[in-house]
Amino acid sequence: MNIRLARAEDVVGMQQANLVNLPENYNIRLWIYHIVTWPQLSFVAEDPKGRIIGYVLAKIEEETVDPADIHGHINSISVMLSYRRLGLAKKLMELSQDAMVSVYKAKYVSLHVRETNRAAIGLYRDALGFEAVGTEKGYYYDGENAYMMRLNLKHD
Amino acid sequence: MSKKPVASKESNRHLSPKEATLFRELLSLYETKNLKKGLKTADQILKKHPEHGETLCMKGLVLVHMGRREEGVELVRKGIRMDLTSHIVWHVFGLIQKGEKKYEDALKSYTQALRFDKDNLNLLRDVAQLQTQLRLYDGLVETRYMLLRLRPTMRQHWISLAVAYHLNGNLAETKNVLMEYEKTLKNVPHYDVEHSETLLYHVRVLEELGQHAEALALLDVSAKDRAIVDKTAIMEFRARLLSQLKSEEAEHAWKVLIEHNPECYEYYKGYLSNHSLNIDDNPTEALSFLRDFSTQFPKASVPRRLSLSLASGAEFKELAEPYIFSGLTKGVPSLFVDLKSLYTDPEKLHALQDIVETIRKDTTPDPSLASPSPSTEPTTYLWTLYFLAQHYSYLSEYAKALELLDLAIVHTPTLPELYTCRARTLKRAGDIYGASRAMEDARLLDGQDRFLNTKSAKYRMRAGLIDEASALLGLFTKKDAPSPGADLEEMQSLFYLLEEGEAHRRAGRYNLALKKYTSVQRIFDDFEDDQYDFHGYSLRKFTINVYLNMLDWEDHLRSHPGYVKAALAASRIFVDIYDDPQLATHNPDGGATDAEKKAKKKAKKAQKEKEDAAKKSGTTTSTNEDKGLEVLYKDEDPEGMKLLAASDPLERAAKLLQPLTTLAQKNIEAWIAIYDVAIRRGKFLQAAQALSRAHALDTDNSDLHVRIIHAKHTASNLPEPISPPAGPVFLETLNRLIPEGVSLETFNSQYLQKHSESASAILATAQASRLMGASLQEVQDVVFTVLNDKVALDIKTALEISSFLNKIKSPRVDELHKAFDEKFTISTAFKTTEESAKLRAWALTNDSVGGTAVTPTENEADLGTTTGSV
Repeated sequence: MNIRLARAEDVVGMQQANLVNLPENYNIRLWIYHIVTWPQLSFVAEDPKGRIIGYVLAKIEEETVDPADIHGHINSISVMLSYRRLGLAKKLMELSQDAMVSVYKAKYVSLHVRETNRAAIGLYRDALGFEAVGTEKGYYYDGENAYMMRLNLKHD
Repeated sequence: MSKKPVASKESNRHLSPKEATLFRELLSLYETKNLKKGLKTADQILKKHPEHGETLCMKGLVLVHMGRREEGVELVRKGIRMDLTSHIVWHVFGLIQKGEKKYEDALKSYTQALRFDKDNLNLLRDVAQLQTQLRLYDGLVETRYMLLRLRPTMRQHWISLAVAYHLNGNLAETKNVLMEYEKTLKNVPHYDVEHSETLLYHVRVLEELGQHAEALALLDVSAKDRAIVDKTAIMEFRARLLSQLKSEEAEHAWKVLIEHNPECYEYYKGYLSNHSLNIDDNPTEALSFLRDFSTQFPKASVPRRLSLSLASGAEFKELAEPYIFSGLTKGVPSLFVDLKSLYTDPEKLHALQDIVETIRKDTTPDPSLASPSPSTEPTTYLWTLYFLAQHYSYLSEYAKALELLDLAIVHTPTLPELYTCRARTLKRAGDIYGASRAMEDARLLDGQDRFLNTKSAKYRMRAGLIDEASALLGLFTKKDAPSPGADLEEMQSLFYLLEEGEAHRRAGRYNLALKKYTSVQRIFDDFEDDQYDFHGYSLRKFTINVYLNMLDWEDHLRSHPGYVKAALAASRIFVDIYDDPQLATHNPDGGATDAEKKAKKKAKKAQKEKEDAAKKSGTTTSTNEDKGLEVLYKDEDPEGMKLLAASDPLERAAKLLQPLTTLAQKNIEAWIAIYDVAIRRGKFLQAAQALSRAHALDTDNSDLHVRIIHAKHTASNLPEPISPPAGPVFLETLNRLIPEGVSLETFNSQYLQKHSESASAILATAQASRLMGASLQEVQDVVFTVLNDKVALDIKTALEISSFLNKIKSPRVDELHKAFDEKFTISTAFKTTEESAKLRAWALTNDSVGGTAVTPTENEADLGTTTGSV
């Protein structure tokens, strides 16, 4: 499968992949907003026909002025069930993190995950090295809590 | 809004000092969206100056923000009449029109406003956004130039002018502006992302101008200074530019990229083309490079996979074996999908089949031994069976595929892929009910997985089980939405709208089908509208490269397969309604399905509550809530009955198809749909063009054949000849498509002779002869030749044939169905109504989960777990 930087024309493909995979969905504006604001941070995986089968949508949290707190945030990441075991999620994530460090000097990367989503928590913790740093009560629209997870980024 | 309502005492714009102060207050109250107070202030002014145009407009604007649009717009119109030369009134009007997405009208109003306040920055900025939205690039350059002239110290004004020149095709000027801009900069901090993006834009402009050396110099010096901070972009530009300059360093630059991301095809292609190697032309040399990369990056799959595309013969086998074996050992579910594109080469297809069959033999557990062969994991056998099932399913050997899946399911009953593969195989074989049931079995293995949920819902819709599909979708949609479908539509789900539209169409609910297709159309309209704010935003953010790519994407938006599908399907329904207006009154089951009726009730209730709340607040005007200027979509035709009864079906179809004339030029179905609409609208020039374009794509296409005959037949039956210039062009086109001196009947039978083994050609010939007035008997005789063993017949064509016979009210439909049913043993497509009802019910029972789900027509004997007999 081909892995590359997400381009402007990928937004619909990413949005539709998200819709069939995950319960948290977004209007196209949000996808466009991320891609045109942080054009270096989002990546896609495509099948042999060029259809998007996995993506990572990321941003930089900018409310902070403290350079020690500049960090990336994974807004959404998913890989279609039928493309598992290729390590795509890990590769997508690593490319994004690499760009967070090199372009924005991000110190760490954070994400939210549903408390009950064991599969995802496992992936983030075991395969990607994230650690849970807290809980956000009622983060999801249906009232479910989110774990906040975090991974410190290496600078060379 | 600028705050200087200067007016002489005689003018009706003049306000007394107290009211003049109030008016300034009104403007700032509006800016801060303090609506309630703004409204009060406006009323205060109007008490003394009831005909003050600018106040009337401001009051109207405030009312629109408060959700009282009609009343507000009325006031704005009145205000304009009172003071035609005020920039404020035109500005207000422009804002309102923009909110209604009437960009052309808004631009006119803004232009009017600028006449009375030509240096107004706010107006100019809005005008620039409107001009970009409307792609009026000449005007955009002028506006951006004005803005720069007025405020040369604003960085974004320079960049915006450069971009305007770029969009207008004047790259040389873009470069000049960028150079001037960079001269004005002092003390740019290192590591400034905005500046970095601007420089990358500058490099792109130089590259597009073909000034590669200059581009590389700028890139290198900026990278060294840390002025460009995006390392990946630096590496990519560098590799490309060095290649274009034929530099020796290029090879290394591409290698660096491959090292950075060894899973990116483009990098390998770049590397190879730098060696003047085209993957298709010099496979042998390219292969040796790829072999090196495979060794260097043992974990990367792209070089190994790319090698398989290039290699042939013994070398292919040698490379394919380890690739497949590793995939099967790891249990990579997508292995087959990954390799499928190699199947276009029959030699490779057989090689792959041999390899996997051998692995199967080697890994099959020996029942006489307690444990399987020690050298391999037991799961390798499982994944091998799965691969082979997909393989045979793809080759239309359905029974074999299903047999393999049964074996695999006995081995491991909990792997969803086995059931999804079974579902796909049954679907291909025409058993829509069994397919749906198998997909539901997959879903039940992991109810938390939305991917499986989506698949099962999709398969239910394919089986016409729309309400049941909706129930599944509802497990993942918002609980407070009027219906699962409403939430998915709100979330812009194309798959949902297309599948449900198609399901309604198949069931003859054309109103609801049109409804879904027009929702797809609206989503794409929204995608187009959504770029508006980014015309300002992106330039303030200086992310120019991606912004330009975004504009390009927007310009090609409707080439998306989802749009094309919806446009074609809706257009076909509109044409059918035009041909047979009775379809518009025909209603197979009262229009809506149960779930939809429920959803409608819920939506109605919610709407009423909303309106009640609005009324309440409306009477007291106590709310300060800003409802914005945008007109929100309100569905006034939830059943699609108005769509169905529209007096202009062809015009609607033409509007849907219009984007395809430029964006789907390679799509023969699009040209055929365009022809169907054009000929009925009497647009003979366009009809002729569509036929020519379709003919250029595929001379022998069966749908095209019917249209050629339709066109000629139509032309010769017109009461008077088509007037020039269209007439001669139309006839000339037909003369090119039908050989001189050949009658239509002969043309038709020649086509049949040439394609006597093609089912779709047989159908086309029958359709054409019906068109020319052949008897039912004659037409049926032609149709029934599809049953000849020599004819290659697939289910899709068989269904089309069946619906054609229905359409011409043939008495032999049942006879044909019976024959089809015997021919397609697994298929349920041609069962009687009674049988279908039973199958439907069976598809919804799920007592087999966790065990083997076996279709009622297959494999009763060997597994003994058959459920739900029919």
